[in-house]
Amino acid sequence: MSQSFAPLHLICKSMEGIDDEIVSVLPIRYSNGHIPNIHIHQFPLLTRPLQAPPSAISSGKRVTARVKPQVHRFEVHVPADSRPEVWNVERTKELGAARAVDDREKNQEPKGKEREGEEPRLSEIRMRSEGIPQRGAHMLGIVRDGQLHLHPISETHQLRPTLTYLDVLSRKNKRTRGGDDSDSDEGPPPDPDEPLPPPVAKKEKKPSGETREVQVTARKAEDKGSGQMQGGLSAARREMLQAIRAEEDEDWQELQFCDVTTVESEEAFESIFSQSDEVLECRTDITAFLRGIHAL
Amino acid sequence: MADAPSGSGSGLPPTKAIGSLAKKQSDVTRQGTQKLKFVPTLPTRRKKDEVKPEPTPQALPSASTPERGRGRGRGRGEGRGRGRGRGAPRPELEMTASGPFAMGPALAGNNARRAVPRSNFAPIPIPGAGTALGSSLVRGAAPSLKREGDLKGKGVVAKVQEDEEVYSDPDEGVEIVDMEDVRQMDWMAPESLRKEKRQKKAKKEEATEAIASEQINRANALDLSESEEEEELEDIIEHFAARSDIEPDSTLREEKLYFFQFPSPFPTFISTTTETGDDTGAGEAIPAKDIKPEPGTSKVVSPTKVQIPEPKVDGVIGRLEIYRSGAVKMRLANGILLDVNAATQPSFLQQAVYLDKKEGRLSVLGEVNKRFSVSPDIETLLTAMEDADKAPATVLDGEELIQMDTT
Repeated sequence: MSQSFAPLHLICKSMEGIDDEIVSVLPIRYSNGHIPNIHIHQFPLLTRPLQAPPSAISSGKRVTARVKPQVHRFEVHVPADSRPEVWNVERTKELGAARAVDDREKNQEPKGKEREGEEPRLSEIRMRSEGIPQRGAHMLGIVRDGQLHLHPISETHQLRPTLTYLDVLSRKNKRTRGGDDSDSDEGPPPDPDEPLPPPVAKKEKKPSGETREVQVTARKAEDKGSGQMQGGLSAARREMLQAIRAEEDEDWQELQFCDVTTVESEEAFESIFSQSDEVLECRTDITAFLRGIHAL
Repeated sequence: MADAPSGSGSGLPPTKAIGSLAKKQSDVTRQGTQKLKFVPTLPTRRKKDEVKPEPTPQALPSASTPERGRGRGRGRGEGRGRGRGRGAPRPELEMTASGPFAMGPALAGNNARRAVPRSNFAPIPIPGAGTALGSSLVRGAAPSLKREGDLKGKGVVAKVQEDEEVYSDPDEGVEIVDMEDVRQMDWMAPESLRKEKRQKKAKKEEATEAIASEQINRANALDLSESEEEEELEDIIEHFAARSDIEPDSTLREEKLYFFQFPSPFPTFISTTTETGDDTGAGEAIPAKDIKPEPGTSKVVSPTKVQIPEPKVDGVIGRLEIYRSGAVKMRLANGILLDVNAATQPSFLQQAVYLDKKEGRLSVLGEVNKRFSVSPDIETLLTAMEDADKAPATVLDGEELIQMDTT
């Protein structure tokens, strides 16, 4: 019945609302049993699904995830493809060290198990979630057995690779360059120049070091500010800092990441379907949509 | 004018030294540079560069002119040599980054490449990554598909039929790889944008079916055409109506995931049965007034209860109507009629996940295949507004206090 698509004149007719017959009817079933826990995760992947590279899978690595439930922050860790053909091991150590520093700063060091005295390596790509506000009511719809099942989507997240360890790395590089200028390898290029420029550069570099200090003190001031309500920090800034603090204070909870092929995922998938045949009573009128618009 | 020093300066300063030794003719200035010749319309820059590296034994400018011509000719010859054997000049292909870092507006709406239910259990094809991962990266181990075509002459013919590119013999140590096959070389290989080859599609399919031996290519061709068709078909009807025709396969999950965006206050639904009656009630404070005029079949449930937001409900809330015209509407209870339209399709990966906090699990339910936006049917909305304008009057009639206000 559905294969016969309407010719154009029929469509035009229906636009005028003359006669347009129903060709198919699907019952809509609604369930909100999992209400805060069905999310949409968006990934910057255009052409492939989210999966660990084959080489990583063969060495036993899997995609993992962790969450900070209070601040609604997710991280999905995808193992990197560490074949030497496509992977620079030396660079990995460098970046891994930077990430370790970064983790320490953010109070999210890996607990125990990855500390084996070995130098840290960047072995995974961390995708960090950013909650995006939903407009309207978002529903997940699945057609099964000629019925459309709906389930509300509670949160939408965009996951992007975190590259904050690069900040650490560049900061470190900057510091070494600014701090011990005599030791740095920048000797040859400024050779024709007079030895005057380096001190100037030093002066420029040092303030940038100071700004970092300022940030730390600002945080301390915030600590005091909560008690004494000191001036100097705008409310917005304080809020931001509080949000950052809250996130850094909360510990990550490891999650088992179950791909679509796993049994767990299958079970979860089955559980979102509506089970009962009861006809629900509606409490809302269609005009509620119009009244729901805030600007009106 | 001819031997103006300024002319020599702007002319060919680098040839000065050589010229002074070699040229003794009258067309050479005393400083040894070539005399500036008036050359009317030639785009001179390029030509001069080509002439310049020539050791200039020909002192005569008349000899240097054909030299230029020859230079040009050689350039063209190179181009021809490279292009020999090609079917047609191919459009430029862009490379896109892939992997988690790939971002950008490429391959928009190309949902077909990861038709979820089918890819749920079939592994995502990783061409060339089957046995020797990364072996194709090492020089000498060419992708088998290419090697085949290069080695046997028959393979070349077959490839022509398949509308593939044919190249001249590769130089030693250089391996020619089709830009479109880069993807197959390695798991980490970047994606190449697909060419537009709509009009050749039919031909290609015929050709590929004829050559049943070339399994890989055939699979590629079929995959491509399939996805293109899905892109063309924007009719949303198929998503709902065509489902019933598909034979349910127990091994494959056929259900696709759809994303619906409803207008903001999603209608509140409650269960009328008594056992779930405890956790039901008025979901919102606002609609409490509007419920009054409706047929009160379920007044048994006390609507006065103030409860936890979002009671758990489960049941039928309406029906999805598919019209012959292709329109899709949702008819919910209470006369709510909603139009369903295809929304903008994002090109990136969207997964529906279920966060199981108790078990500490993040289960991927699948990829969202299509997005729909649901909007109130305007006509129904307008009539409902009219009715609503009338309705309060009747309601207020019953309530004396407000009637006194109006008088």
